Amino acid sequence: MTHLFEGMFLIDNDRVRAGWAAAKGTVLALLEKHGATVHTARRWDERALAYPVKGKRRATFLLAYYDVPNESLANLERDIQLSEAVMRHLQLSVAEVPAAERELALAEQGPEFVVPEPPADDQGLYRPLQNLPEGEEDDTFEDQDDDMDMDRPRGRRRDDDYLADLDDRPSGPKSRVESR
Amino acid sequence: MNPPKPVVVPMRKGTIPIKRDQHIEYKDLEILVKCITPQGQLVSRKRTGFTAQRQRELKKAVKRARHLALLPFVV
Repeated sequence: MTHLFEGMFLIDNDRVRAGWAAAKGTVLALLEKHGATVHTARRWDERALAYPVKGKRRATFLLAYYDVPNESLANLERDIQLSEAVMRHLQLSVAEVPAAERELALAEQGPEFVVPEPPADDQGLYRPLQNLPEGEEDDTFEDQDDDMDMDRPRGRRRDDDYLADLDDRPSGPKSRVESR
Repeated sequence: MNPPKPVVVPMRKGTIPIKRDQHIEYKDLEILVKCITPQGQLVSRKRTGFTAQRQRELKKAVKRARHLALLPFVV
């Protein structure tokens, strides 16, 4: 009996620089070695990481959907953990392959698809939202407390105050106390 | 004469746009970043306005995203 899985693999950018097809092939060969049937596999993104993983600050993400026989799942998991190509992975059981995923995976196999060269490991500050179009910069983790501002209200900052600071939310008092 | 009792007006719930039948996944970073504080903590249900089931989905998605270094544990 087999189960369908969604796997997200963080691949070392040094291997991606050597060739995306080879890096992807390494992971797919690992899956097929344990009897997996790969439905789709594509480059999901290349990102700066929120924290260093195995000494690397950037990685390329490979998203794959595959069927694995139940009896070889534990061996596959162990082999992925031992693999030097995969820095980290997440494997989830899913009901079906998303329809959009097949189209995106097919687009990657086309001749016009070119894998962009990953930047140097220390380039690019981490932001939760990356690779956005120009003009749409993510400022989620900007420090919004101006500690040198002498006019700022004193006291503990309430955990919901940040909502008022976000640009896309209507600002204003979240609660008020009225006298009858 | 006793002073008048204060009337506390309930807080407005959060307005995170999400479709009714949409499931939150660890790849939906545009949704996840709206549900964490600048320190990287998960925002409470009171703030997100999510149902209990949706909030549990959110919790799982944030934890998976943290494991893959898509989101930080602590900022």
